[in-house]
Order: sequence, then C-alpha cells, then structure tokens
Amino acid sequence: MTHRNRVLTALKRQPPDRVPVDLGGTLASTINIHTYRRLMQHLGFGEDPPVAFLSRRSNSVLPDERLLQRLDVDCRAVILGNPDVNPEREMPDGSLTDEWGVTWKHLGEGQHFINTDGPFYGKEPGPALVEAFQWPDPLDPGRFRSLRSQAQTLRIASDAAVILVLGVGVVHQIQFMRGYAAALEDLIVAPDFVQAFLARYAEFWVRMTERALREVGDLVDLVMFGDDLGTQQGPVMNPALYRRMIKPTHARMVQAAKKFSKPVLLHSCGSVAALIPDFIEIGIDALHPVQVTAKDMGTAQLKQQFGRDITFWGGIDTHRVLPRGTPAEVREEVRKRIADLAPGGGYVLGSVHNIQAEVPVENVLAMVEAAREFGKY
Amino acid sequence: MDLEALKEAVAAGDVKGCSLLTEVALEAGHSPQKILNEALVPAMQIVGDKFRCNEVYVPEVLVAARAMKKSLALLKPLLTKTGVKPVGTAVIGTVKGDLHDIGKNLVCMMLEGAGFEVADVGADVAPAKFVQAVKDTGAQILGISTLLTTTMLGMKDVLRALEQANLRGKVKVMVGGAPVTQAFADELGADAYGESAAVAVDKAKELLRIA
Repeated sequence: MTHRNRVLTALKRQPPDRVPVDLGGTLASTINIHTYRRLMQHLGFGEDPPVAFLSRRSNSVLPDERLLQRLDVDCRAVILGNPDVNPEREMPDGSLTDEWGVTWKHLGEGQHFINTDGPFYGKEPGPALVEAFQWPDPLDPGRFRSLRSQAQTLRIASDAAVILVLGVGVVHQIQFMRGYAAALEDLIVAPDFVQAFLARYAEFWVRMTERALREVGDLVDLVMFGDDLGTQQGPVMNPALYRRMIKPTHARMVQAAKKFSKPVLLHSCGSVAALIPDFIEIGIDALHPVQVTAKDMGTAQLKQQFGRDITFWGGIDTHRVLPRGTPAEVREEVRKRIADLAPGGGYVLGSVHNIQAEVPVENVLAMVEAAREFGKY
Repeated sequence: MDLEALKEAVAAGDVKGCSLLTEVALEAGHSPQKILNEALVPAMQIVGDKFRCNEVYVPEVLVAARAMKKSLALLKPLLTKTGVKPVGTAVIGTVKGDLHDIGKNLVCMMLEGAGFEVADVGADVAPAKFVQAVKDTGAQILGISTLLTTTMLGMKDVLRALEQANLRGKVKVMVGGAPVTQAFADELGADAYGESAAVAVDKAKELLRIA
C-alpha cells in the first residue's frame, strides 16, 4: 500500500495495512526547530541541516524529505506563502508582525511567538470596526506562488499523502486581532461585532482556499485548518453558542474544500468531545489532535462514540509522555492509542501538538518505531 | 432594597447595572462589606459553581467578572477606609518564559470574587519578582500558572527562590495550568494543585483553613 493510500483509507475509516503516521504534515503536528536539528544530527543528516519553517510563529519546521522517508512517515505538508503585501516579518525588537496587524512576541530562544497586540485590541467592538479594517487581499499572489512546485516536488519525491495547510480558522483569527479574553467576551456582549467579523473572514478564507485548490487541487489529498475550541475541562464556549455563532461559518469553510472533493482535517485543541457531533455534521473528516490529557478525551470512549463517523488524528501525549516520559513509556502510549483508536481504520498516529524543544530525540524515534511495530492491521 | 438584584446583575455580567445597583445599595445604607459578602461573593460563587459543572463557560465567567470588578472598584476605597480585612491575600502570576494569561486571570477573578485581595503580577514573571511580591504584600497564597511544557519546570525555580528568601514556610503555593497535574505538583512540593480556575477558591480556602 502506498503511504497516500494508507492515509486515504484511514480517512474512509477502513483498515489500511498499518496505522499511518504523521510527523510534519500540519502546522500543529510537526517539530520544533531545536529538536529537529538534534534529530537530524542523531540520524546522520549533518551537523547543520537545512531548515525550512512550516511556521515561524511556532518555530516549527517542514521536515526534510530524507528524514521523513527514513522514518517512513505517511504525510507531507504544502503551505501557503507569505503575501506580497505586508508579509509576516521580523521587527527590530525581535517580534513578528503580520498582514493582519497582529504583533507576535517571541517567548525566547527555541520557543514560539504569542500574540500580544492587534488592530482590535482595546477598541469599542462593533460592525463598524470590521468595516473600517483594511482587509488583506485573499488572492495576493504571494500566497500561491510556490504552491504548485511544492506539491509537484512532493509527488515526485514520495508517494505520501499531501496536506494543504490552510492555517488558522475564524476563532483564532478574531482572538489574534482582538485579544483572547476580549474576543470571548464579545461573543456575549458584542455579538454583532463577532457576526460581522465571521462573515467578512469567511469570505476572505473561502476565496483564498478556492484559489489555492484551483492551483493544486489535483496534487493534494486533503486540507487542514485549526481553530481551538477546548480547554482542559470542556469546550471554551457553550456548545449552544458555538452552534449559533461559529458553526455556520465553519460549515462554509468546510464547503469550500468539499467543492473540490477534498477531505478536511480540523485541528482543535482541548476537550472538544461535546462538539464532535457538530464537526461530523458539517463534514469534517478527521479531528486532530485528540488531546488525551483533557477531560472527556479518553480514546477508547471517543472511538466507541464517534469512530464510525470521524477519523482521529494525533493522540500521542505531548503534555507529559513525549517531553518527560521514557522511551518505554512512549511505546506504551503508542500501543494504547493504537489499541483504542485503530480498530477498523480511522486513525492517523502523531503527536498531540508540535514536538517541543525539550523532547528527547529517543522519544520521537520511539514513537515512530512503536507505531510501526504495533500498527499492523 | 435587598441585594438580590445586584447579585443577579453580577452573575449576568451586566456592567452598567452593577455600577448603578452598587451605588443605590450604598445610598440605601448597606455597608460596603455587606454588599461584598451578600451580593458580589455569592454571585461569583454561583458563576464559579456553574462553570465547574459546564453550565456556563469561559465567556460568561469573563463577563461576570468584569461586572463584579466594576462594583468592587466602587466598594474598595470604602472597604479600605473602614479597615475591613480581606479573607486572605494572594500573589498570582504566570511563570517566566510564558505569556499565556487567561487561566491566570480567571483565577485572579475567582479569588477576588471570593473576597481575597489579589496581587496580579502578570505573565513572564521571574522568580525574584514572585518573591518580592510575596514580601511586599505579606501574601499567604502564591499562585503560579503555566501553559507550556517548556516553562513548567520554571515553577521549581520559584519554589527554590522562596526557600532562599526564607519565605517557603510563610506562604502556601498553588499551581495550575494545562500541562500541570497533581503528580507534577507533588513532585514540585507545591501545597495545592487546581485543575481549573473554578476550584482555585476552594483550594485557597482549604489552605488557609477558611470554611
């Protein structure tokens, strides 16, 4: 079975020959630059391996094709480029600024960046704020310039499943531009502002996505975007509020990909079990990351409840096991997640989030090796 | 007037209503302490309880806390003037290297809503700054938060700095944040772990033996 067919079979919730493995296929399932360097050195790919960022903000890489083949990884990412107008760029103080006017402060060497300011911070929320904003051009040629060559190269170099990474969704974008707490409060106190933003952002997103899929629809196997909707304890907002305010926009975003017959992988951190029926209803095919340390995210229960209708993607704990466990504990974690999630198909194995700077190389290798060992159908 | 309407205004997150009803309550002769204890504290208790059992969620808690703060801002100068003591004093911050602050802010709001004096020292806080804040405020509680696995070990540095300053015996340390577990809190030697902001008040009261 080709790597691509393995992933596509898992997406159809049928059993492939073995559980497919993702490392570096999405913006939330790849690897921090420092751990990546150590991994490349460890495997003999040179002392100073070349680095291509998948996301500068998270200091995470698009792993080298040689590494992915050595580890027999089944997924690859293609990513949208920086826009020509207002590209993401580093400021003199080391922070980043992007086309949305969001400031990203660096948490320190080896760490990611976190949003600390944006165009809607401290403003009076209302539809006028959305209208007055200078919206970026969804069709800015910079986004699409390298898409086709990225995808073609991957098609020639491998038979892996190619994922078009579309970036963050509407929930994150309003939080980046407005601040997390204010954007959450606005859901209650300024719903007209939120609605205006959702409508305008969805329009942007759909036009960008359709343009990208016209460019590479024949070369990519699925699309991915991320909108975190969970905390450790439960959904970040009332599921009823999600259904009323956000879900219609998510449905519109999913439809943009479905028009091109592409399966959709949603990344949504935390305890989102209560929202999975909604994800299924709007056509989400697979859910990353299955954050197993959050409440109600037990893998056996999730599989039993939703395994017929959605594919689970991720599942290997990044809170404790990967950074602080032993390789033996990593193996046990992999064995357990495969036992829970793999039966009948419908599981792509990977880390719950990007593998961070403190994760030992031995644990990354243990994850991949154990996936091969325990993943046979 | 009874204080029921103010209680409801806080729980519903009605900022304007809170200001008005607080002023009316003061005008009607209720003491600031009574308004705090019989309207604000029980309102936030209700919100906290509902949050804990997923009847309300983060947005509703943030909005209620904002309303509570509006009322508290009117009461605080009067409480200080009449020499009313808070139920306890807590220093709260996010560990060095981490800027995530929603969880930490929710804990601050919950503790304030329970009548604690809270010194919010912010995010990306160095151990020395935590120690200084504990000294300056005479806090009985120190709360440390983190969202990142890469910074959670920094909590150890804070505990070490407290020991070096001979403060470890004088202040109870509570820890929380997404990657933190009871096992990790035990490993650190923290006095309490809260799995969510909703339980922070109970933990703080337990530590101070307040019923």
